[in-house]
Amino acid sequence: MEIGAEAIVQNQTPKRAAVTTGADRPGRRPSSGRFRRLNVLVGVLSIPLFIILWELTSRSGIVNMVLFPPPTVVAAAVLEWMRSGQFFWDVAASLYRVTAGFLLGSALGVLLGILTGQFPVVSSLLSPLFQILRPIPPIAFVPIVILWFGLSEAGKLFLVVWGVFFTVWLSTHIGVQKVDRGLIRAALMLGTPRRQMLQEIILLGALPYIVVGLRTAVSISFYTLVAAELAGTFAGVVYRIEIAQQNLQTGQVMGGLAALGLISFIADRLFAALAERTVWWR
Amino acid sequence: MSGYRSTTKLALASSQPSVKTVSEQPAIQVSNLSIVFDTNRGQMIAVDRVSFDVAAGEFVCIVGPSGCGKSTVLNTIAGLEVPFEGEILVEGSPVGHPRPDIGMVFQQPHLFPWKSVRRNIAHGPRMLGKSAKEAGAIADDLIAMIGLKRFADAYPNTLSGGMQQRVAIARALANEPRVLLMDEPFGALDAQTRAVMQDNLLELRDRIKATIVFVTHDIDEAIVLADRVLIMSAGPGRILREIAVNLPRPRSSAILIEPTYLALKRDCLEVIRAEGLRAFNQSDSS
Repeated sequence: MEIGAEAIVQNQTPKRAAVTTGADRPGRRPSSGRFRRLNVLVGVLSIPLFIILWELTSRSGIVNMVLFPPPTVVAAAVLEWMRSGQFFWDVAASLYRVTAGFLLGSALGVLLGILTGQFPVVSSLLSPLFQILRPIPPIAFVPIVILWFGLSEAGKLFLVVWGVFFTVWLSTHIGVQKVDRGLIRAALMLGTPRRQMLQEIILLGALPYIVVGLRTAVSISFYTLVAAELAGTFAGVVYRIEIAQQNLQTGQVMGGLAALGLISFIADRLFAALAERTVWWR
Repeated sequence: MSGYRSTTKLALASSQPSVKTVSEQPAIQVSNLSIVFDTNRGQMIAVDRVSFDVAAGEFVCIVGPSGCGKSTVLNTIAGLEVPFEGEILVEGSPVGHPRPDIGMVFQQPHLFPWKSVRRNIAHGPRMLGKSAKEAGAIADDLIAMIGLKRFADAYPNTLSGGMQQRVAIARALANEPRVLLMDEPFGALDAQTRAVMQDNLLELRDRIKATIVFVTHDIDEAIVLADRVLIMSAGPGRILREIAVNLPRPRSSAILIEPTYLALKRDCLEVIRAEGLRAFNQSDSS
């Protein structure tokens, strides 16, 4: 029956659509196709055009080439960085900090988010505290982290965990609270024991929110990485940028920025792909 | 919708006297049920000393305007609405928490979006300790019964509203409840789908032995489906009248134009109109 109803609707709408398009815009179609092709072309050219313009500007003499080196110089600096073997260790150190901090911060965030979302008493105890601490930018903790941890890895980890935790906690907390009460009632009527409600209904119901929080936390972990490495360390992509800045190796500085951007971009895309599989029913 | 597999079951079920059997004990006994809500304007009596029995195997519809407490009564029987006064016995034992021998279908399907149709239906049996294989077999039987074999592995968001509600009914039946409670299950569907769903439910009802209490605000729906219609009034919720529907079975929505049907409907409408008028005058004078 529903199929029949759909067929009726389908029979009607195209006719109506045909009437309207036939009446008021017969000449638009081909030009909109041309526009689309133009958009694709411009999109492909976007980055090459930018790089060419950059190269020309740097070499034109309008700007100081030492402070604003052309892309070719930046590329040479990056190649040199790779050849020296430092690149690998810098990337490894940074990735380790981001990954460890992200995993630890997320685990804590999800755990406490479930507790505060599920149990009003825990929420009354912890939520006010978290809401006061959450708005303080993690970067502002750098001085005290140096006092507490010196230049150790523990301090770096602390900063990234701190940054990641609050975002993941909040999204998990909201996700748990937003689980459709109708689903819980339905599950109760089907004989789901209350102690199994968490794994059967609440975790899965909150999952879409948790995944959004985790994805935001990926970029936050990179922000806090910058603060952590600027606070002083012995290897890392941002550390290398800072050293190059002190030596006035502007090409290396820009190369470092590009590397950081690329790593962060790949991390975000990987996570987006992973997220799509995590929420498999969408 | 109907398959060969089910016709034998159907013949078996209809050969048994299902409706008129008065067993020694009613399936549901509601006595002096009162429910009071605390609102910010003070206490509100949602349901006022409601009493009724439902015989085993009987199909009872509760009709009333929105806000008359009919859904609240149903939720209370389901064990979902805890604080109440009076006594409710289902199959002889008092309710107070959800029980697997009481099934419930809500106005919204409330299917688990992360489970396929089969797993949604298998959820209840799994929770009651059946193995995945047993639960899957139960689900497959029910999927065949509701005619959704093609969609067994589909996720709820890919189904139409009517299909989703069919799955919700099958899911509630998977635990083989003695009592099936239905809270305006077709209220959110369009008129055509609703008529088909009513016919489906009557067909299904011939095959299951459950006692059914069905809440609706649609008089036509109530008379087509029920053995007995309870008409409720609003503010506070009371039972105004009880009307036995002696129309022959098997029924379908085609009886909507029978003279006997129309006579019943006139009775119901008169009760409801008188009550509506009374409520209107009351609110006007206060």
